[in-house]
Order: sequence, then structure tokens, then C-alpha cells
Amino acid sequence: MSAGSPTISWGTAWRIARRDLNARFRGLRLLLVCIFLGTGALAAIGTLTSAIEGELESSGQVLLGGDLEVEIWQRGLSDEEIAFLGQYGRISGGTRLQAMATVTDGAAPVELKAVDQNWPLYGNLTLADGSVADAPQGSDALLAQGALDRLGIAVGDSFTIGTARLTVAGIIGNEPDRLSEGFQLGPTVIVAEDVPQNAGLLQPGSLYESKYRVAFDDQALDPEVVEQALADAFPQAGYDFRDRNRASPGADRFVGRMGDFLTLVGLAALVIAGIGIAGGVSSYLEARRGSIATLKVLGASSSDILRIYALQVGIAALIGSIAGLAVGILVTPVLGAALQGLLPVQSGFVIEPAPLILAASYGLLVAFAFAATPLLRARTFPAMALMRSGIAPLARDLRALSWTVAGVVAICVLAVVTTAQPLLSSGFLLGAGGALLLLAGLGFAIQKLARSVPRPSNPLLRSAVANLHRPGAPTGSLVTALGFGLASFVLLAAVQSAIDGNIERSVPDQAPDYIALDVPVAQEEAFRSLVDDNAPGADIVTVPTLRGAVLAFGPQDNMQRVADLESIPDGAWALRGERGITYADTLPPGNVLIEGEWWDAAQNDERLVSIDAEFARAAGLEIGDYLTIGVLGIERDVKIANLREIEWENLGFNFTMVFSRSAIADAPHNLSATISLPQAQSNGDRAGLLRAMVRQFPSSSVIEVGDVLTQARTILEQVGLATLAAASVAVLAGLAVLMGAIAAARASRMYDTVVLRVLGASRRQVLLIQLAEYGILAALLALVALGLGSTLAWVIVTQLFEFDWLPDWGEILVVLGLGLAIVIGFALAGSLPLLRAKPARALREL
Amino acid sequence: MTDTPNKPESGQLAISARQLTLSLGSDAAPVEILRGIDLDIHEGEIVALLGPSGSGKSSLMAVLSGLERATSGQLQVAGQDFTSLDEDGLAQARRGRIGIVLQAFHLLPTMTAAENVATPMELSGANDVRSRAEQELVSVGLGHRITHYPTQLSGGEQQRVAIARATAPRPQLIFADEPTGNLDVATGHEIIDLLFARCAETSATLLVITHDPELAERCDRVITLADGKIASDTAKAPDA
Repeated sequence: MSAGSPTISWGTAWRIARRDLNARFRGLRLLLVCIFLGTGALAAIGTLTSAIEGELESSGQVLLGGDLEVEIWQRGLSDEEIAFLGQYGRISGGTRLQAMATVTDGAAPVELKAVDQNWPLYGNLTLADGSVADAPQGSDALLAQGALDRLGIAVGDSFTIGTARLTVAGIIGNEPDRLSEGFQLGPTVIVAEDVPQNAGLLQPGSLYESKYRVAFDDQALDPEVVEQALADAFPQAGYDFRDRNRASPGADRFVGRMGDFLTLVGLAALVIAGIGIAGGVSSYLEARRGSIATLKVLGASSSDILRIYALQVGIAALIGSIAGLAVGILVTPVLGAALQGLLPVQSGFVIEPAPLILAASYGLLVAFAFAATPLLRARTFPAMALMRSGIAPLARDLRALSWTVAGVVAICVLAVVTTAQPLLSSGFLLGAGGALLLLAGLGFAIQKLARSVPRPSNPLLRSAVANLHRPGAPTGSLVTALGFGLASFVLLAAVQSAIDGNIERSVPDQAPDYIALDVPVAQEEAFRSLVDDNAPGADIVTVPTLRGAVLAFGPQDNMQRVADLESIPDGAWALRGERGITYADTLPPGNVLIEGEWWDAAQNDERLVSIDAEFARAAGLEIGDYLTIGVLGIERDVKIANLREIEWENLGFNFTMVFSRSAIADAPHNLSATISLPQAQSNGDRAGLLRAMVRQFPSSSVIEVGDVLTQARTILEQVGLATLAAASVAVLAGLAVLMGAIAAARASRMYDTVVLRVLGASRRQVLLIQLAEYGILAALLALVALGLGSTLAWVIVTQLFEFDWLPDWGEILVVLGLGLAIVIGFALAGSLPLLRAKPARALREL
Repeated sequence: MTDTPNKPESGQLAISARQLTLSLGSDAAPVEILRGIDLDIHEGEIVALLGPSGSGKSSLMAVLSGLERATSGQLQVAGQDFTSLDEDGLAQARRGRIGIVLQAFHLLPTMTAAENVATPMELSGANDVRSRAEQELVSVGLGHRITHYPTQLSGGEQQRVAIARATAPRPQLIFADEPTGNLDVATGHEIIDLLFARCAETSATLLVITHDPELAERCDRVITLADGKIASDTAKAPDA
């Protein structure tokens, strides 16, 4: 028989590998789980993001209801403006406003959507019964189910809005342009274009928004070109634009932020999975020492060993990756359903090759990078291990480490090249690298410290301390795994509690019960009397409300036209389109004057404005500079008199720009009012107040703040849930790594435990040794995990979501304590089978 | 059995060692295990290696079988210069030429009996290994245990599998380190009978480490080690 070639063929290696591989992947399960979680998370993240982006891109026209949308407040477009737009394609116009729908014994605030007969330009309006409907005509109205429930009416019944009597013609099932309409303050009622006017809702100064959508004749036309042309042709108009590529800017922003967050979660899962893989492969090969040595005795070379075990690890990695990809595809519809209403997601299963290939590449690359070192070290397991003690550690192999370094560099390059946020990803990877180094240093320091402290006289403590620094002690890998595992617990608790904190804070302690819009200025006293009569003791605050757009800003001799700006400066959002403005004689409550002085209305008829200090900073404005404001088509220059700090969270009336009476009070306008009811007010009294308001002020509308808060809370909770679900992947990976590391360390403790038992140690004493060892490690690592986890959580909460940093440290510490309990519990539970066995039997099994 | 044994021509030296030394431990505090071993073993010889615990028996066997590299000295095994080979070279040299039987059997726990026997043949690139492995198991009396895993076999059966595994590739040399050490007396006798019979069938040279005088008595030659050196080397008088 010949000795054959120096290295066995891949076919022979595969035969031996397959035989040696346990059918249930015993020993390689940690690797499998880590690859599965890492690849699954990335596949799900990639597929979901692609499904959302794909939907936003492919359905942009339907979501917007046109190729371009022009929005303007408190007026419709002039014939001239419509003619200008008409040259590009078909136009559908309409209005949006808050209104009150009433029946004999009930009233409900609704979002009135008046549309012309061209609506919808793209997509179809589907009714709840599944039929497709056209835009309503005459007195027909299509209502959302919420409005019907509130009014207690059904299809065919009548109701009133303003002075118009309408009939329920159908229940809205799917409104094609719903997402582009934004945050709603009541259920939708769709009516014909002329209904608001006929109902007396469009009085001068009424707060309503006109929307005109254009379906381009030439589909190749760039919407931005038309936007610019319209803005140039009518420079004073102060339009807001949306186009098919930004059909739902809110969704775009959300997807962008969520995408960044998910990228971080994916990378975190990868880093943690990598640590698990390294630990899993190490302990697997450690357990295979005997087999490797036997194969060597039988003539296997180090290259043969590498091939055989690389194939085993490779097949486990492949199966883990495939399972991860499958789950990634399968969970996307579930995630899509969870995000329904928040984001448009393609329905059904989505198979996007690019994110799947990327996820598989990451998984396999991570497996390669982190398995390379233990695999290469396994080559050097000596055949003589069979004859000598197998407990001696192997020498470090720097060459083997170089493959891991090369693999990690490849992963980093892939991560940075393929992400939309290279800076964020690079920062995170650098941070993760730093954390790894920190933990490696800590592991080294703990070993050094354990070696240098005087030997405790208590034999149990002595043994526990010796376990930390003896040759071959797994302290380094345990510190890394426990550090990252516990940090993932802290991360989850910190992100979750910070989001909860933001949700709690967004619900003000003393929010008004109602906000009434479009109360005529001349009827302020009548309005107050009506509220007083129906709700004695109610607190009423009224403010004049107008809509206006900043057209130019800066020093008087060097004003910058907003239309000429290439982009709006960060934070200077008030320059974009029209917004609510008011005038006041005194500083509004809840505002703090931080620069300049408030005007004396009696003595000064100069046109002045007070602006938000943050807006001033962002736009580079100073006291004495000027704004050109456009109100109902009239331009006025106003001088900046002072800067204010605004507490936006109080849900009262807050305005970025507050003008002096002389600046804008002569423009037609109405009042808005907040009504805070006394605590004792019953639901019946509230309904009575609503009915009375609708009867006496038919053109006014009311927003129920409680409903709005509930809706806002629901959205925030959905975000919180999505965050929690995504972050759970990192925690699961952390948990798997944690348990894997403890299981691996336990295997190396088995020998000691059996010997100690033979020497007469009681079960309790052996358990106490374990408790002391893990107690020392866990206590030290809890602090590190707290720092690592909360730092990453801070980045996510404040930098990505731009929420405030409001973690609940008590909750975080409880969760961290839970993590520590899991570590110690798992370590102790793992020792129990060995403790139950008789020493003689355990000896034989060594 | 139809294979031609991998055996050199009659009268050739199977093993030739000159001034072999083996030191273990760190450079700062080396421990001398073997201290100048001179030894010739001819092909076909059956040699017993005796000596007290710690005398260097297992280490000598490890060096002679290529499991360990000698620290110094010259060593020729089956016509190959072992002192010039690195660990992979030694592994390659073992393939098909050297069979090893160990006290604790050391079967691969994840493989069946037939797969254990087939593995060294596969490593040496042989064909039709499966049926040959099964034949080997039949010839050691384990035809009914072919698909059993090591944990499903008794100690004696495991050692039979180990012997089949060591002899299946028809090696020129078989090394056995206390092959009966983990077995009861009766099973030990059966295993020795089997080992000797397989060596006779394949005309292999056998070096067996033992503490059993009875087993030593059955060998052609008895070498005794003490403190890393050969204390005595006695050839048995040929049978009349």
C-alpha cells in the first residue's frame, strides 16, 4: 500500500468529516445558532428595507396620488397657476381641513378630504366591501369606519358638516394616497370638491390646505424641474412640494433612521456571533482533541486535519446561513404586518437577491474569520496527546491569528462599502474593535491580578482564584463573551426604557382636552360664553392663527430669498413652506425670552417678530435682521425684535414666529382655542359641549387631544416594538454566546470537579467554587457591560432616533442583574449532572 | 486476505536506532526521557518492551512509530529516515506502513466499527475500503458488529476493532502499547492471540509494550528499559 499524496483529496476528507460529524451537530450548535442569528437578522433587515424602499419607489405615484403635489394654505391656486401646471399634465385639486361631523345626538371631529372628479390620478379607492369607487359627487360622502362608529350611523344615513347635509355612500377600505396625507387628527371623510365651500367652511382666514396633484403627460419629466419652474413663475406663493420620489417624506425619514438602526443591530449581532463562533469552534475542536490525535496516529497530516474539520465547520456554517436566510425571508411579511400603517411594505414574501447574498456573505465570512484561528491551531494538536495528559494548553499560533485579522478586515470593508451610512458603520466597527480590545485587556488584567494576589487561605476561594489564571484558563474568552453578552442585555434595557421615557414625556401632564380651530375673531366672547355655559370652570386660551411663509431672511441690506437656496440649512425647517403664525402683545406662556426685549404694543407700531432661538441659530439670524413674510399672497418685511426658547412638549399653542399686532393683524384670520375641562367633567357633559360648539360655530372644527395623543402613543409604541424586536436579535446572540462560553468553560472544569470529588469535596463545596469564580468575573464585567451597553444605546437613542436620553437606570440594573443571574445560574446548573454522578463513574467518563 | 503485505525483503532491518534521545519540558528545565538508545529490530521479529513505570517505554514506542520526533540520534524505520522528517512527513510515513494499537483503544467515537477500520486506508488513498474494512472485522470475529459504534461495544470488542484498524492497511510494523491493560485476563489472552495471529498473517514486525511476563514469554525478543536506557535485550532461543 502506498503512502499516497501528502494531503488527502477533498472527497476523502469529506467522507471522514461526514462520518465524524454528529447527525445533530452536537458540539457545533453554538456555531450554528450564531450564524443562524447573524445571517437571519441581516437577511430580515435587508429584505424588509428593500421591501419598503421598493414599495416607496414603485408605488410613489400611487402613494402621492400624482407625479407632483403642490400644497398651499388658506387659498386655492389661481387660474393662472392652474394653467401653468396644466401644461405638464392632468391636474386633480382639492382641500384638506379639520371639520366636525354631526348627527342629531352626536358629533365627531373628522379630517375632511375634498377631491375633484379626477381623483385619484393613480391607484384606486377601494371600499370596505372590496368594490372600487370613484370620487364622490354631490352630497355623497365616503367615511372611514371610525367616523361611522363615532356618529353611530351606517351606509345610506345622513349627517352634517358645517351647513352641508351629506349622505354616507360607502365605507373607505383602502385610500390609495393615505400615507402621503401624514398624521391625522380624526377619521377621514372624503367628499366632493365643492362641499367645504358649500358648507361654509372656507371663510377668509380659515385654516385649510389646498392640494393639487399633477399626473405628467411625459413620464420622463423630472418633478423637480416642474417645482423649480412653478416657484420661479410665482415667487411669492410659498408652495410646499412633494413628488413621486418623496411621496411620503415621513416614511423616507423613518426608513432611513430605522435602516441605520437596523444596520447597527445587524453589525452588533455579527460581532457577537463572531465571538460565539470563535468560542464554539474552539470548544468543538477542543472536545475533538482525542479524535484529531487518533486521526494523526492513523496517518493524517496537519493539512488533512485542517481539511476534515474545515469541512465540518463549513457545512455547519452553510446550514446555519441557509436557515438564517430562510427565516429572514419568512419573517418579512410578519414584520411588514407589524409596521402596517406606519410604512408601506410589499405584501407577501419578498425575495431580494442582493440583501440575501450580502447576508450569506457576511455569515460565511464571519464563520471563516472567527473559525480560522481555532481550525489552524487544531492542526497542531499532537498525536502524542493520546498518551500524555490532554489538559495542557496549546501554544499560541500568531500565523493562525493573521487569518482572523484578514477575515475581520474583509468584513469591515464589506460593511463599510455596502452600507448607506459608511461613517456610522465605521464608527460602530471601530467601537466594537475598541470594546474587544478593552475586554481582551480586562481578561489579561484579571488573570494577572489573580496570579499576583496572595493565595487565599480558604481552599474553595483559592481554587476559584486559581481557576482564573492557571495555564489554559478560559478567562479571556469568558470575559469577552460575558462582557458582550451582558452588554447586549444593558443595550436592550437602555434603548427600551429610553424610548418608554420619551413616550411618557410626550404625553404632557396637563394637556388641554380640546383644540378648537377657526373661531371667528368677532365671536370670541360668544365662544367663551358657550364653553363656560356647558363646562363651567373650563380654562380657555385663544390665539389668533394665520398661515404664512418666510420668503426671504437676513440683514435688511442683504436678504436671502428662500427660493434661491439650494437646500434648507439643517434645523431651519421653518423656512420650508407655510406654517402657523400668530401675533401677540405679550410673551406667550411657557416661552422664555433669551435675547432682546418684548415690544410694547401700545407705544410701538413697528412691524416686529419674535423667533425661536434654535431656528435663529440654524438660519444664522440675529436681532435686527429682517424676515419677508408672505401671508395670503401679500409680502411684508418684519424686523426681528427678540429670540425665545420654546417648550414644545406642552401641547399648548407654540409658534416659531410670533409677530407684533401691527405686522399681520390686518390679514383675515380666525382664532384657535385650547379648552381644558375641569376634572369632574363627565363624558356626557363633554358630548354636550361638542354638540353645542358645532351648532353655534358650524365653520369651526375641534380636535380631541386625547385621541391625538393615543395615536401618537401608538406610533411611538410601534417604533418601540420594532426596536425591541430588532434589538432582541443581538440579545439572543449574546445569550447564545454567553451560554456557549460557559458550556465550554464547564467542559474544562470537568476534570477538576471529578478530581475534587475524588479527594472528598462535597457537592456544595464544588458549587461554591464555581459560584466564587463566576461571581468574581460577573461582578467585574457588570460594570464594563453597563458602560458598553449604555454607550451604544445612547448612540442609537440620541444620534439615530434623535430622542432624548431618558433611560430608566433602575430597570437597566434589574435587567443586568437578570443577566448576571442567568450567567451564574447556567454555570451552576451545568455542574449539576456531574455532581450527581458517583466519583468513580465520573472518573471513567473523563 | 488477498493483499500483499507491505513487508521488506527478509533479513532487512525494520528499525534501526542509534543514540536516540528524547527530552521533554521547557528548554530551561528539560527532562531526559530517552538517553542514547541503540536498537536494531529485524523485520518479522516480535519484540516485547518491558520496564518499570517512567522508564521510557511509551516514549520509545512513540519515537519509533513516528508519533514523536527524537531530540537527537539517528532513526531508520521501514527504510525511511525518521530523523529528517517533520510531523507531517512522519504522518505520511506512518500511512499504510505502521499500525498502532493503544491501551485505551482510542476508536473514533463518532464512527462505526467499519468506519474506524476504513479510516487509515482512506488516509493512505486505498480503494474499496468499505468492503475491505468489513472483511477485516469479519476476520477478527466482529462480522456482527460492523455498524456498531464504539460505545455499543465491550472493551474486548473495541480492542478487536483497534487491531483490525491497525492491521487492515497491511503495515510493515505494528506497535502495541499495553493492549491488554484495560481488559480482564481472559479477554486479554484472546486479544493477544488475535494480535499475534494477525501479525503472523501479514508477516508484520510487532513491538509490544507490556507488564505481563506471560506475554513477554511469547515474544521472540525481550527488551527491558530502565531510566531511559536499554537495561537488557534478550533474544529467545529458537525453538528446537
